[in-house]
Amino acid sequence: MSDVKFSEIFGSGRMAAGGLQDFATGFLHPTVRLGVTGLSRAGKTVFITALVHALLNGARLPMFEAHAKGRISRCYLEPQPNDDLPRFAYEEHLAALVGENRRWPEGTRRISQLRLTFEYEPQGFLARQFHGGKLHVDIIDYPGEWLLDLPLMTQTYPQWSSATLALARKPPRLVHAEPWLELLKHSNPEDPQNEMQALEISQSFTTYLARCRDSDMSLSTLPPGRFLMPGDLAGSPLLTFAPLDVAADALPAPHSLAALMARRYDSYVAKVVKPFFRDHFSRLDRQIVMVDVLSALNAGPAAVADLQTALNDVLSCFRIGRNSLLSELFGRKVERLLFAATKADQLHHTDHDQLENILRTLIESTSQSAENLGAQHDVAALASIRSTREARVTQNYTEIPCIVGTPMAGEKIGRTVFDGEKEAAVFPGDLPKQASAALDGQMQGKLHFVRFRPPSSSSETFPHIRLDRTIEFLLGDRFA
Amino acid sequence: MSKDFRAPQAFVLGDEVPESKSPTKSKAKVPRLEYEVEPTLPEVLPAPETSTPAPHRRFRWLFILASAAFGLIAMGATLSITQLIEAFFARSPVWGWLALGLAGLLAFAALAIILREITGLLRLNKIETLQEKSSRAINLDERASADSALAELEAIYANRTDMKWHLDQFKTHRNDILDPRDRMHLADRHLMQPLDTMAHKIIARRARRVTLLTTVTPAAALDILFVASQNLGMLREIATLYGGKPSTLATLRLARMVVTHLAITGGLSLSDSFIQHFIGKGLLGRLSARFGEGAVNGILTARIGLAATALCRPIPRQAATSESLTSLLREIFTFGSDATQPGEKQS
Repeated sequence: MSDVKFSEIFGSGRMAAGGLQDFATGFLHPTVRLGVTGLSRAGKTVFITALVHALLNGARLPMFEAHAKGRISRCYLEPQPNDDLPRFAYEEHLAALVGENRRWPEGTRRISQLRLTFEYEPQGFLARQFHGGKLHVDIIDYPGEWLLDLPLMTQTYPQWSSATLALARKPPRLVHAEPWLELLKHSNPEDPQNEMQALEISQSFTTYLARCRDSDMSLSTLPPGRFLMPGDLAGSPLLTFAPLDVAADALPAPHSLAALMARRYDSYVAKVVKPFFRDHFSRLDRQIVMVDVLSALNAGPAAVADLQTALNDVLSCFRIGRNSLLSELFGRKVERLLFAATKADQLHHTDHDQLENILRTLIESTSQSAENLGAQHDVAALASIRSTREARVTQNYTEIPCIVGTPMAGEKIGRTVFDGEKEAAVFPGDLPKQASAALDGQMQGKLHFVRFRPPSSSSETFPHIRLDRTIEFLLGDRFA
Repeated sequence: MSKDFRAPQAFVLGDEVPESKSPTKSKAKVPRLEYEVEPTLPEVLPAPETSTPAPHRRFRWLFILASAAFGLIAMGATLSITQLIEAFFARSPVWGWLALGLAGLLAFAALAIILREITGLLRLNKIETLQEKSSRAINLDERASADSALAELEAIYANRTDMKWHLDQFKTHRNDILDPRDRMHLADRHLMQPLDTMAHKIIARRARRVTLLTTVTPAAALDILFVASQNLGMLREIATLYGGKPSTLATLRLARMVVTHLAITGGLSLSDSFIQHFIGKGLLGRLSARFGEGAVNGILTARIGLAATALCRPIPRQAATSESLTSLLREIFTFGSDATQPGEKQS
C-alpha cells in the first residue's frame, strides 16, 4: 500500500512541477490551453477546423466581443510548440471540407495540438505594459474515450472487471457481448496464466466494444478507451487484457490468469491513463465537451441513457481532476467548461432551446449536480459549420418549419432515400417541450435527424450557429 | 403537449430556387397540428396582490369644480368667437370670411397641438413598454418579446439619418441564428451605445452650463429658474435622442418620472453625498461658496440626466449608474474648451 502512496506523491510532484513551469511561462507569454473533447463522431475535428478557419479569415462572430469590436489585430497559426505532440492537421481537414467532393473530415484518433496566437489591444493598463496583448491559445484535441479512462485510476482490476461484466450482461449490450461471454464461461480466472488465452479473450472483448460502438444503438460508455482508439499503442501488450469473472473484492491468486490480467490492467493505468492525466488533462484551462445528442435521440432511449452514463463519467473525471492533492496548490484547473450539443443545424432554430434543455437534463440529472464542479459551466446548441438553411413548407394549409440542405448519400427519411446530390427540405420532428420525455422513450420513432453534407458555400467563411458565443464563453475573458 | 405529433418527413427539391419550392412529394394525409402559440414559458411571478383596502376616496369636488369651470370658459370662448364672426359678417362679408378663416386656423392649430401632445405621451408609453419587453427578452431569454422589441426599435430609428449606419450594421445579423438574449445584446451594442455616447455629451454640456450659470448669477431666485430651464431642456434633448417625441406634457411627465426614479434608486446614495459634501462644503466651498453651490447643482443635473437616460433608453442599461456618474463628473470638472475657471476669478 505504501508504494502506491509514494507513486502518487511522486506523480503529484511532477504535476506540480509542470504547473509551476506553466505558471512561469504563462506570466510572460500568456497561454490558454483549450481542451476539445467528446465521444467519437461528436464533431470535435469539425469544431476545431471551423474555429481556426473563422478566426484566421475574420468570419462574422458578432458575439465574440473582442473580435466584433475590432480589438483583435491579428490572428495566426504558430509552429508547433511541443515537439512530442502531433500537430492537428488543420490544412488537411479544411481541404476535405472545401474540396471538390466536399465531405466531413476524418475523426480524431489520437491526441493532437494546434497553437493559435492572437495579437490584441488589451484594455487594462498592466496587461499593456507586460505582454503587449499577445495570447497563445493551445487547442488540444483528444478522444473522449480517453477521458472515460480516468475513473480507472481509482479502480482496482477486480472492481473494474465486475462492473464491466455487469453492464455487458444487461440489454442492449447483451446481444453484442454473447460471443465474448461464451468464451468467458470456458475460462476460469484461477487457471494458470497463458498468453494465448489472454490474447484470445482480449480480442473477443475488443470485438464486443467495437460492435457496441458501431451498432445502431450508438452506445458510448466503453472503457478502456485505447481498445477502440489505440493511437500509437496498436498491438502493444498493454492492450491485451480483459475483464474476467471475478468478484469485486477478490484477490487474484499468484500466477493465475486473473493475476496476469490484473498486472496488465495496472500497467495500462500506470503507463497510459496516468501520463495522459498528468501531461495533458490536468493542465487544461478551458474545456469544451461536444455531445451528439441528436444521434442518440435517433437511436432511441437506450442510447440516450447510455449517453447520460457517459456524461456522468465525464463529469466525475473533471471532479477527479480537481481533487488531487497538490493540484490544489500548483496545478491548473479547468475554469470554464462548456457542453455543446453539436449538429444543431439538423434542427430548426425554434427547437434549439429544447435541445439545450435536453442536454442540461442529461448532465444535471446525474446524482451529483453539476454545481459542485467548481468550474463555470454552460450548455449551448452549436453547429460549428452550418450545413443547412431554414425554410417553411406549406402542406395541406399548415406550415412546417424545415431545414434545407444536401443530405448525405444513403440517408433516408420515411420512404425517401437521398442520393447525396439533390437538396431537400427536411422536417425532423418536434423535440419534446419536456426534456424528460426524451429520456424515457416517449419520442421513439417521432424524431429522425438526417446528416447533411458540408455546405457548398461560395463565401470565404463558413456559416455557423453560436460558434461565436462558444468562443466568447471559452476565451472571451482572456482578452480583457 | 398535444397527443398527436408531426411525423418526420422530407421534401426533395428539384433544381428550382428553394424560396419558391413546392413539395414535390406529398403524402395523402398529414396530421394537422397547430403550433402551441405560447410554449410553457417560465412565468414571471405576479406581484403580490395588495390586500389592504383602498383608502376611502373622497368625492373629488375640486376636480368637478375645475372641469365645470373649464367647460364654461370653453363654451364662453366659443360663444364669443361665434358672436364676433357674426358681427363681422353683419358689417361686411369680406371681414366675416376673414374672421371665419382665422377662427378655423385657430381650431386647426389647437388640434395639431393636442395631437402632438398625445403622440408625445404615447411615444413615452411605447418606450416604457419597450423597456419592459427588452428586459423580459434579456432576463428570460424569451424569443417572442425579443422579436417584437427589436421590430419596434427598428421602426423607431428607421427614419433617423444619424442612425442609418448603425441600423444597417445591426441588420446584417438578421439572418444569423442567435439566442434572444444575445440578439438584444447585439442591439444594445449597435444601436444603444452610440446614443449613450451622445447622451453623455449632452449631459456633460448641460451640467457644465448649470455650474457656470449658478456661479455667476447674482440672485438666488434667477438661479432656480436657470437650473430648471436647463434641466427641462436636457430632458427634451435626451428624450429626442433616444427616439422619444417630447412634447410639453410628455416632458413634464418625464420630469415627474425622473424625480420618482431618483427617489427609488436612492438619489442620495452614500458615495454621492460624500462627493457633494466634499465639493459643496469642502475644498471647493472654501475656495468659493458660489462655485461650491454651482458644482452641487452641476452634479444634480448630471444625476437627473443619467436618470433620464435610464428612463428613455429602450433597452435597459446593464452598467451601474454610479460608474457612469464618476466618469461624467470627471468630464464635467475637467472643463472643456468652452468653459473658463470661474472659481478662481471670484475668490
